[in-house]
Amino acid sequence: MPPPVTLDGVGYAFGEGALRRPVLRSLDLTVAAGELVLLTGPSGSGKTTLLTLIGALRAMQDGSCRVLGQELRGASEVARVALRRRIGFIFQNHNLLAFLTARQNVAMSLELHPDFGDEGKRLAAADAILDQVGLSDFTHVVPAKLSGGQRQRVAVARALVARPGLILADEPTAALDRQSGHDVVHLMRDLAKKSGMPILLVTHDPRILDVADRIVSMEDGRIVA
Amino acid sequence: MTPWLPFRLAWRQLRAERARLLSAIAGVMFACVLVFMQLGFRSALFDSATALPQALDGDLFLVHPLTTALFRPESFPRVRAFQTLASPEVSVAVPIYMAQAIWRNPVNGSHRAIQLIGFDTEAGAVNFPGLPALIPALKRPDTIAFDWKSRPEFGPVAALLSERGPFKVQIANREVEIVGTVALGASFGADGNAVMSETNFRRLVSERKVGNTDLVALRLRPGADTAAVQRQLTALLPRDVRVVTHAELVAWERNYWETATPIGFIFAFGSLMGLVVGMVIVYQILFADIASHLAEYATLKAMGFSGGYLRLVVMGAAGILAGLGFVPGVLASIGLYDVVAKATLLPLRMDPNRGFLVAALIFAMCATAGLLAMRKLRDADPADMF
Ligand SMILES: Nc1ncnc2c1ncn2[C@@H]1O[C@H](COP(=O)(O)OP(=O)(O)OP(=O)(O)O)[C@@H](O)[C@H]1O
Ligand SMILES: [Mg+2]
Repeated sequence: MPPPVTLDGVGYAFGEGALRRPVLRSLDLTVAAGELVLLTGPSGSGKTTLLTLIGALRAMQDGSCRVLGQELRGASEVARVALRRRIGFIFQNHNLLAFLTARQNVAMSLELHPDFGDEGKRLAAADAILDQVGLSDFTHVVPAKLSGGQRQRVAVARALVARPGLILADEPTAALDRQSGHDVVHLMRDLAKKSGMPILLVTHDPRILDVADRIVSMEDGRIVA
Repeated sequence: MTPWLPFRLAWRQLRAERARLLSAIAGVMFACVLVFMQLGFRSALFDSATALPQALDGDLFLVHPLTTALFRPESFPRVRAFQTLASPEVSVAVPIYMAQAIWRNPVNGSHRAIQLIGFDTEAGAVNFPGLPALIPALKRPDTIAFDWKSRPEFGPVAALLSERGPFKVQIANREVEIVGTVALGASFGADGNAVMSETNFRRLVSERKVGNTDLVALRLRPGADTAAVQRQLTALLPRDVRVVTHAELVAWERNYWETATPIGFIFAFGSLMGLVVGMVIVYQILFADIASHLAEYATLKAMGFSGGYLRLVVMGAAGILAGLGFVPGVLASIGLYDVVAKATLLPLRMDPNRGFLVAALIFAMCATAGLLAMRKLRDADPADMF
């Protein structure tokens, strides 16, 4: 089986003409099945840009990027939307829908999956994973009534509930205190390891480096280590 | 993916912001009531404007081609009425005389123009409700029958009649006796009506050419082919009269109010303004809902929700607002129709066709607002999410 993520000579630039500024320069990277890869590097080195390319949130420019068997170079919008359904995203901000309870937020990401055709199944799966992230008492609570750490755990549950083939996280602990950040990342790793989901995690946070299988450093659009 | 899921999301989102939801519903309801009132007035106007031709029950009528509306007819030679009798199918031909005169309110003496309608009451060509019982009394000199559906400014005539029986009033500076009431209805052209015999009409309106009439009602023999007689009479009579059926007479009158006056346009314009205001309110609410949830919408896009799903959420919200505003809007309009009908005596009431029309307009209004607000969804870019 090919690895979940294979990047080959990926380049990306923002702007046109004289304003054109390269952000990624012929970059190679592989994430193996079940691997937790941590991506670090100074601000502006292109980590987020790389993550949006792998997550099919942005159209490719140069090189080749294979994610979960889909070649993203020249992929159509429809193909990219379809791929995104097989990826779990965790953002710096939880971005939960304020008017939905924790379980409704989690169940929403199952609406896109043919295996969860009815609402009962979706809510049952949501409750199960909320229990796994330690929120079984908060399933009917709206995000405004949860702490920062609890919200991020709901976001983790939402990203993982559909058992995606790949998890992409961008500084998921940046808005959290030390203990909550530590808890969230370990939860994420434990859940992912159980079902063999690979994780690509961008972070500046030195406190969480210990969870990684491998640490990749970026500088100025290139991988340096 | 079942189509009601975006609809449900729309409802949950609307429900979360009570104040915003209520103001949106109020906006839709306002537009709904406004349109109902405008269309109601419009149709009441046309109904009441045609009250007189509708109450005239002849099979065919003769009208001067230049007559624009019955409250100010062009007159033509009365002899045309008798010429129609050349057709064996015509059994009765009754000239009808019309004029406006000044009425003096029997209680406070104020003046107001009233429509006078005179004809041979015994010929049986015209049957206003209430008229047959009054025919003998109307044969006496200087008697009239008053239209009790006239506007109240003419005085409490019906009440006075039942209190003290027939009494005298002044029309065109002449004393006449009211012997009873008929039912016709006020219109925009005439605030009130008085019906009388041909002779009494001539006494009241002396400055008219004796040989002229304003309208002729024809009654045909049973079994006659109305269309054939109409063709036959049109060929027979000179160009100074047109032969029209009852339906054509009503349509003639209606057409005058619809085309020759700005009234129809004014009501259409009023309705449009209501819809525009409602549309802007709904647009702002939908727009604010998208703008304040842009990050969440972008997240949904990142998770793989299609643009179509999110557009359905916006249209679902528009549809819900339309429905939630229409229901109280239609109920309020039914109540208002009642109040206004009592105050103006205009025949104002809810009719199912108008209900469906307004429902369609309100849903179209909300759909337009939704389509405009939807463009804001483009700002939800999942690439900006990290
Ligand atoms: N939408 C954009 N348009 C133009 N330039 C952009 C855009 N997004 C990012 N950039 C630029 O690209 C470069 C790389 O940005 P990126 O966000 O990938 O860095 P990063 O490594 O994630 O930094 P940080 O650690 O601060 O999040 C930066 O110089 C940034 O200014
Ligand atoms: Mg970044």
